[in-house]
Amino acid sequence: MKLSRREFLKGAAASTALAAIGLPGVAAAAEAETKWVKGVCRYCGTGCGVLVGVQNGKAVSIKGDPNNHNQGLLCLKGAMLIPVIYTPDRILEPMIRRNGKGSELEKVSWDEALDFAAKRFRDTISEFGPNAVAYYGSGQALTEESYLANKIWKAGFKTNNVDGNPRLCMASAVGGYTTTFGKDEPMGTYYDIDNATCFFIIGSNTSEAHPVLFRRIARRKQFNPDVKIIVVDPRRTNTSRIADLHLHFKPGTDLALLNGMAHVIIKDELDDYRFHGRHCVFKDNDGSERTFEDYKAFLAEYTPERVQEITGISAENVVKVARLFAESPNTLSLWCMGINQRSYGVWANNLIHNLHLLTGHIGRLGASPLSLTGQPNACGGVRDTGSLSHLLPAGRVIANEKHRNEMEDFWGVPRGTIQPTIGHHAVALFGAMATGDVKAVFIHCTNPAHTLPNLNKYTPGLQKAFIVQTECFHDAETTKYADVLLPAAFWCETDGVYGCTERRYSLTEQAVQPSGNSRPVVNIMMDFAKRAGVDPKLIPFENAADIWDEWRTLSNGSPYNFYGMTRERLKKESGIRWPCPTEDHPGTVLRFVRGEDPLVPADHPEKVFFYGNPNGKANILFRPYMPPFEPADADYPFVLTTGRVIDHWHTATMTGQVPELRKAYPGAFVEVNPEDAARMDIRNGDQVVLETRRDKMTFPAKVTDTCMPGLVFCPFFDKKKLVNRLFHDAVDNISKEPEYKICATKVYKQV
Amino acid sequence: MITISLTKKNMLLGACGLFILAVVGIGLFFLYLNFAFPVKHATGTHLAVPDQYTDCVTCHTKVSAQVTQDWREAKHGVTLVKCVVCHGEPDGKGSIPFMATPDPKLICSRCHDPAVVRMEAKYGNSADCYSCHAYHQNPVHSNAYETRVPTTQTTLDQPGQGF
Repeated sequence: MKLSRREFLKGAAASTALAAIGLPGVAAAAEAETKWVKGVCRYCGTGCGVLVGVQNGKAVSIKGDPNNHNQGLLCLKGAMLIPVIYTPDRILEPMIRRNGKGSELEKVSWDEALDFAAKRFRDTISEFGPNAVAYYGSGQALTEESYLANKIWKAGFKTNNVDGNPRLCMASAVGGYTTTFGKDEPMGTYYDIDNATCFFIIGSNTSEAHPVLFRRIARRKQFNPDVKIIVVDPRRTNTSRIADLHLHFKPGTDLALLNGMAHVIIKDELDDYRFHGRHCVFKDNDGSERTFEDYKAFLAEYTPERVQEITGISAENVVKVARLFAESPNTLSLWCMGINQRSYGVWANNLIHNLHLLTGHIGRLGASPLSLTGQPNACGGVRDTGSLSHLLPAGRVIANEKHRNEMEDFWGVPRGTIQPTIGHHAVALFGAMATGDVKAVFIHCTNPAHTLPNLNKYTPGLQKAFIVQTECFHDAETTKYADVLLPAAFWCETDGVYGCTERRYSLTEQAVQPSGNSRPVVNIMMDFAKRAGVDPKLIPFENAADIWDEWRTLSNGSPYNFYGMTRERLKKESGIRWPCPTEDHPGTVLRFVRGEDPLVPADHPEKVFFYGNPNGKANILFRPYMPPFEPADADYPFVLTTGRVIDHWHTATMTGQVPELRKAYPGAFVEVNPEDAARMDIRNGDQVVLETRRDKMTFPAKVTDTCMPGLVFCPFFDKKKLVNRLFHDAVDNISKEPEYKICATKVYKQV
Repeated sequence: MITISLTKKNMLLGACGLFILAVVGIGLFFLYLNFAFPVKHATGTHLAVPDQYTDCVTCHTKVSAQVTQDWREAKHGVTLVKCVVCHGEPDGKGSIPFMATPDPKLICSRCHDPAVVRMEAKYGNSADCYSCHAYHQNPVHSNAYETRVPTTQTTLDQPGQGF
């Protein structure tokens, strides 16, 4: 056989590659032995179904689950998930810092590590009371883990200091849904994408943050070019590639636009009087009931001209977008952190709901306000189980005595066990750690030392408090502060449920054994809690499946009813949407709609029934325009914003383990508009200083017209450049969610 | 005095020698050019990162413009399914082996398994997908969406765009 040099090289490369069995993708070489185990992607809130290919007890490949909503498709992160399991960066042994912060982490046995952690918790509680301990969880924790932690802390340790990173991400969406509809979670599903005739995408870079959903939107547009896509975002991201209309505006002024749209809709009589007359009540900002005429008067000032003054969007476009929204047969709104991470995030959410209620674009396939979730299990795991400092499971709140009593009875603890006062929300919790009010914290599956706003203010808290952390990767910034580091089984090494954006619960089955000495977190938590003095009767579980059964039983009869989703059923089916009250119920697509939602009585006189509110109606709320907390000014003339890039997820503790993803964006950068760049003589790759009132940092410049003039963007994944040091920590008054998206900054070239 | 007999053999040797000298000479010339005039990009320096192996588009826009443009305007480009997802990393150190022509069984099936199965059922076991679906035209890398102007930018000649 004669080989040219080129052919020889190609052959050599292929055989080298094939020799490296264990690399995903090579799996098909021995396809016959591959066992495919069903699961959900570990990354974003889209919640794509995956199949993990296992050979000889090792995960070797991954493909999309054709039966789940993603129809087999994966984005680039999901397609490269396998190397994350076997990265050398995994934490495989329990470790403690015997001599306090700054000393070396020392490998110890599980018993020693758990006793060390539990003793500190016991001592802290007996000396300072239960409110000196806390749990800080995650929207990536499994539902079973969050439910369990909530129960252990609120009923076992008797403190409401249970919060988590969803506070930094979804809290405003929760606030929006609950203030408008009475209960949390969207009424729509991803089916809406296939049926919408107009997409109103605001404050979301769907293309990079939820790529598989973006593909579905693009597909809708491809098959029906008449479908209109409106993208409202100060950055012209890849999402705008398929847009008919992209509007950029002065960051933080979108509340004026949304009110302006309502103004135009009513002025042009495009509102659905029959719908809002029947199903809505108008309420002033203080909660008092008003009339439609009052609402008109409230909107009077938001003329297109005035909106143009505030936002910079031309009056003509304000009218255009309002008409598109209202006149289209089915309008679907999608939004994400651009709306949520704001000092008036709940209000912005309300204003989007207002538009849907006003035009009746709700309760039909394709017409819905659908809030996109950032994390894979913020909806199912944290919002539904009530694992936040002011909530209790299934839509209950701590402030309500009846709700507390219901939970105490269900959990079998004496009435009065759950404290009536709410605990610290995320940002306040780290503040309380700095002041010494909270002395011991259990952190699970999240990286606050990287993600908190105004980091310089909150790292002292991490330095001061005793930190027990369950984590998979050394790469996480927070491990630097951990006093006890417990190795958690990663993703498909354990089993559990994730609940994604569209109320869909999907089960990830255990595909492989936990690496090294790591353990499933539910077992770690129960072991720890028993040693720390929690009554073992409170946690009579063997594994995650037992916890799921208790949570499922609890949901029965509540507006979150998913009693029909048994573990066996979840193993068979690729995700089910609640409400799903019985085992033979197929799950619900249109929530709040008679004949679709099992919680709406079949003989209900109206087609739509917003049963979340006692009066059965949704609220149209009068939320005035408010500027952001720190707009650009003469001293700090630029606006700084942050977000994701497609290649990395959150703090890159996982994506940073994948060579391709790491190299795609090895480090943070700052996007500068060419106009601004030309003025300051900044070129691609130049070092540019961002200086805010908190701190200053240097980034390489990327000159691109993605950002509008006056705006700069910095992704937050890079742990070498903790961009959150630059941001302020002002939070939304209602949701307590920080405003990551807007702060004032100086921008200049480093000399 | 040395006489050079112009035999056939000597002529051949001389020609070979000249050819080698010329090749070396041209090589040296280009080496010199590289030192004297290092490659500069139109809008400035590269992003200052040492190992940007997976920012393929930046260079491939220049060295294989048609393919890059096809990808960019096709579904995979619009939805940001980047080169490395199917082709792997050129240094072979990525999570899949580097392949100029991805094996459908290994690569395409990760997302398009149902389609692969469907096509096999219809047309039998084919060696690859590409004999029918030309991969740099329809449908993998072709014009997929009507509206696809992302920004005011209409050309691909800006490095560091990172697609």
